[in-house]
Amino acid sequence: MIRLKAKLFKKIILYMLLLAGVLVILFPMYLTIITALKTTEETTKSFFAFPKSFYLGNFSEVIHSSKYFSYVFNSVIITSVSAFIIGIFVPLTAYPLARKMADKKYFKFLYYYIVMGVFIPFQVIMVPAVKNLSRMHLLNRTGLIMMYVTMALCQGIFLCVSYIKSLPKELEEAAKIDGCNTVQTFFLIVFPLMKPMTSTVVILNSLWIWNDFLMPLLVLNKSKASWTLPLFQYNFKSEYTFNYSLAFASFLLAMLPIIILYAFIQRYIISGITNGAVKN
Amino acid sequence: MKHKKINYNELAFYLFTIPALILYTCFFIFPVITGIYYSMTDWNGMNRTYNFVGLKNFINIFHDMSFKNAINFNIKYSIMLVLGINAISLALAMLLNTKIKCKTLFRSIYFFPAVLSLITVGLIWNEIYYQVLPFIGNKLGIGFLSKNILSSGKTAIYGILITNLWQGVAVPTILFIAALQSIPADLYEAATLDGASSFQQFRYITIRFLIPILNINFLLTLKSGLMIFDYIVALTDGGPGGATESIGILMYNHAFGDMKFSQSIAESIFIFFIIAAVSIIQFKVQNKMEVSD
Repeated sequence: MIRLKAKLFKKIILYMLLLAGVLVILFPMYLTIITALKTTEETTKSFFAFPKSFYLGNFSEVIHSSKYFSYVFNSVIITSVSAFIIGIFVPLTAYPLARKMADKKYFKFLYYYIVMGVFIPFQVIMVPAVKNLSRMHLLNRTGLIMMYVTMALCQGIFLCVSYIKSLPKELEEAAKIDGCNTVQTFFLIVFPLMKPMTSTVVILNSLWIWNDFLMPLLVLNKSKASWTLPLFQYNFKSEYTFNYSLAFASFLLAMLPIIILYAFIQRYIISGITNGAVKN
Repeated sequence: MKHKKINYNELAFYLFTIPALILYTCFFIFPVITGIYYSMTDWNGMNRTYNFVGLKNFINIFHDMSFKNAINFNIKYSIMLVLGINAISLALAMLLNTKIKCKTLFRSIYFFPAVLSLITVGLIWNEIYYQVLPFIGNKLGIGFLSKNILSSGKTAIYGILITNLWQGVAVPTILFIAALQSIPADLYEAATLDGASSFQQFRYITIRFLIPILNINFLLTLKSGLMIFDYIVALTDGGPGGATESIGILMYNHAFGDMKFSQSIAESIFIFFIIAAVSIIQFKVQNKMEVSD
């Protein structure tokens, strides 16, 4: 009986701790949502009160005073184009490296040449990289995408090479006997088999690219038309420092696309991140 | 004819690697090399001409008070961040790994901050420190809460730390959970049969299986602590009075505002050596630990 009580007590403490954590996580979100739905007058009266009526004026004002939808579009384009190229280039490069490293020096060299980049933090190359981009007239979305693809190569190739090495060679050999050339073998056999690891690499990078602030700040800040959401967020806040309702409406709008996406594919995002680190 | 076909197939392997080789060389290795070169010049980033000055920039940064300040800030901040994130996320992971209801719901809520952009999270917390906490502090009469903690040089670092913890524990927690789930259950059963206490089980089974992930989490948080940028831009912009000026902020200002282009690269190379040294030390320690086990 006493043991049972102790067990119950433990359970209650456990749930209380977990719920307290949930409150800590959700409190800023709650605040953001209710403040965005209130007029400035309502907010000055009480910060915590639930909105009396759902006031949508803040959202329309943010959308009208900026080019919100074009920033969403920029973010979507930059993230999806980068993710697409990463999803092809990384497996494409990893395949010959994994299979030919043992007998050809070129591939071995290339593997270490690229994987070495894992140890070099972005800040080390940031300043000269921006200078080079501006010299090549690439301070635009194209240049940013190229930077993202490059930054994704090091870790992505490291992960994919070890993944291909764990795949049996027999399938590729069988394909070769059946008359497949290298290109066909890659796209028909290897690429589909790599899907779990490729999706991990793509998810990890998409999340990072979508939320990245430093690189767009360096590359795109001067051309307002190509701002991404984090950049819009930063500049909008500097412009409207004292209007809380508008600020919170912009926070919510900036988060909205990823919140919606998270609601649908959280399982994949979480497993993508875990796979990446465990395989590391 | 046959000979030619084999050549094409071999050639394809080489061609596959060409795009990555070109991109990586142009946009990664080339900046590294030009960076090392510029770090030994006195270029301000604008002028057409500049002189070769050798290691002068590297010597200069050690005499630069603001660089010393930034290093101090980053070290203090990184230690607190590494300890805080790993302790909280390990505890959280163990709670979330027990037999509870709504496990997946809890997990997705706890992971949620990880998908948000750091700049938005920073700005939201900025409002919380500015508006909400002083409001609560005044209502409840709690002295230290009634002021904006970002407005004092002594406490601003904690404001940044709390924001970082709120968002930063999510990924390590998920990784710890994955590691905990990889521990075979029969190990615990055997240990219980042998009369091991739950602390002994934690010490000898759980910790052992967690060490690889602990290492990853340690390095990830350390790197994010040494490179912190976004939160500071959103919360304090280095202030008040330079109290929260991190190396990332300092480098950015030196390179793009203060015309100290080559010096900022010297600073970044210095940071690279710190991170490399820590990684090597950690790798050695880990190897030793595995051997002594």
